[in-house]
Amino acid sequence: MILNCEDRLLDLVALIDIRDFLMASSENQTGCKLDIALVEGAVLSKRDAATLKAIRERSRLLIALGSCAVWGGVAAMDRGADRHQLLEEVYGETGLTYDSTHAQALHELVKVDFNITGCPIEKDHFLAAVAALLNGDLPLYPEYPVCTECRMRENNCLLIERGLPCCGPVTVAGCEARCPDLRVPCIGCRGPIGDANPASLLEVLEQRGFDRRQVVARLRTFAPEEVRL
Amino acid sequence: MSAIVIEHLARVEGHGGITVELEGDTVTNVRFDVFEGARLLEPLVKGKRYDEIASILSRICSICSASHTLTSLKATEKAFGIRVSPQTEMLRELLLRGENIESHALHLFLLAIPDYLNYPSGIALAADKPAAVLLGLRLKKLGNLIQEIVGGRAVHPVNCVVGGFGKAPAVDQLIELRTGLMQAVADSDAVIDVMASLPAADFCHSETFYAALRSPNLDTYYGGDEVMVVSNGNRAIVAAEDYRSLTNEQPVAHSHAKHSLFRGSPFMVGSLARLTVNPRRLTGKLAVAMKRLKLALPADNPMDNNKAQALELINDVERSLEIIEQLLREGVRDERALPVQPRAGKGTAITEAPRGLLIHSYEYDADGRIISADVITPTALNAASMELHFRRAVEQCVEREEAVIARRLGMIARAYDPCVSCSVHLMRKR
Repeated sequence: MILNCEDRLLDLVALIDIRDFLMASSENQTGCKLDIALVEGAVLSKRDAATLKAIRERSRLLIALGSCAVWGGVAAMDRGADRHQLLEEVYGETGLTYDSTHAQALHELVKVDFNITGCPIEKDHFLAAVAALLNGDLPLYPEYPVCTECRMRENNCLLIERGLPCCGPVTVAGCEARCPDLRVPCIGCRGPIGDANPASLLEVLEQRGFDRRQVVARLRTFAPEEVRL
Repeated sequence: MSAIVIEHLARVEGHGGITVELEGDTVTNVRFDVFEGARLLEPLVKGKRYDEIASILSRICSICSASHTLTSLKATEKAFGIRVSPQTEMLRELLLRGENIESHALHLFLLAIPDYLNYPSGIALAADKPAAVLLGLRLKKLGNLIQEIVGGRAVHPVNCVVGGFGKAPAVDQLIELRTGLMQAVADSDAVIDVMASLPAADFCHSETFYAALRSPNLDTYYGGDEVMVVSNGNRAIVAAEDYRSLTNEQPVAHSHAKHSLFRGSPFMVGSLARLTVNPRRLTGKLAVAMKRLKLALPADNPMDNNKAQALELINDVERSLEIIEQLLREGVRDERALPVQPRAGKGTAITEAPRGLLIHSYEYDADGRIISADVITPTALNAASMELHFRRAVEQCVEREEAVIARRLGMIARAYDPCVSCSVHLMRKR
């Protein structure tokens, strides 16, 4: 999403000194100290864990970027399953030789200074973070549910009025209720709001005839370890 | 024994490397190493309902998330026997054009062109050649705008559902796109100018098999159900349902990406393969541009994939404009997605993602829950061909200086535009 800030990209790189960005450049300073590290993705191997710890050691601020880094993301759905069995199912016996661990959010291994959530992140949230940090400050993001933004856009409620399995009530806002605004139920890709009440949403959906196990799995798609039911 | 090792391949999506082992001057082993962690999404969607599958499996990749989404929907709709409306088909094709414009512009201007001119990055290139980089960024932004307006978001589209769209784009949004696309048509010559000005990349020659969707009207990313494999004048057709004859892949220890062979030979997918399989597309402006880029088909140089991407880029802009003109002429209806009646069955869909053939194959139970899912991505299909071309490049390199060889290997890898995060978790046991 950073490269999707096309209009601001060249201004952005003039304001910050990018030292190590392998996906964009073939010349990087891989050992120097960093003021800020932006880390995307969940930890999925011992190699990833070692890389993350090395980044933490060389950085003053470590920012988790995106739902996988913040919450573990879709790959963390396997936390209850037998990893070896899954590996063998997909890759055969060769799979058992891979360096592969169950998906973990960054904060499970190292201290994370702040999160920019979303799958993908909102590019305005990234730009706001850069602007705040350049002024020695931290950015502020919404701490209310998607429903608040959906109401501000004057949408009809997909959950109450149409009985659709919308995750808006338990999902943190910041997306301007993009999906319900298109008549598509929220799938929770930004992760849960701090004081979410998933039990209540589960009850509402059960009353509307949805299968309990299916709803629980749906609510846990992007942040399986955070949504406890 | 000596080895040339590129530990971390730069300027590609995801984490991969290259290892070439030599015995004297003889190449003994070549590996495209993949270090992305296995996410195991295919077994993890088992038991999930049909309306969740596309949004979960699109998370395989952020760059070609529209392709994953639409291929997934197409597979599910096939399994349930749903035929979407012509308007939905047009909008889906437009969405994939937008994705291709974004992906090719990013790849060419920020990742590949810096190679030819000896810059470490697109950002470094921008300091000396701002016009070229700004041209690329403008096209990339336009591709994203198409995806935002049709798909609801530039990455992981939210507006695409089984049976159609949440909401069709409004007329004023299509008019906004038309304006942007008309500007981009005017930019087409500049794209070809930049590409034609690059020094030749002439260091790897090899007879190559190409595989691409054979489309009824010769020019579609979304439609069509058959793959054609072309080599040296021979051609073979593979139906979607028989995709496994194309992907009789084997897990390999050094990579989480399976390797695919067709009748024992590696094959290449992507822009160059699409133009080779459907050469009758190349008329008018494209034929002129092709001549300027000195591209002859079938090509024996994998670096020509960059030229093919440039041709597709200008073609995608024109095709997108045509679709929008037609939508505006016929009027966009505020269609709801079709009602879905799940049924037990299988569905296999193939589309052309920016990097080549993308296959999703599902089996559903009668309640519309996934029994099994199989996803095969272009970078995985390309892995064996990439390794073959790495080998040829080392064999054909007269200089034995490691830096020269490593630079060439990196350029070939980037010409394939590999998406390492996509390539993972798609190998399976047979």
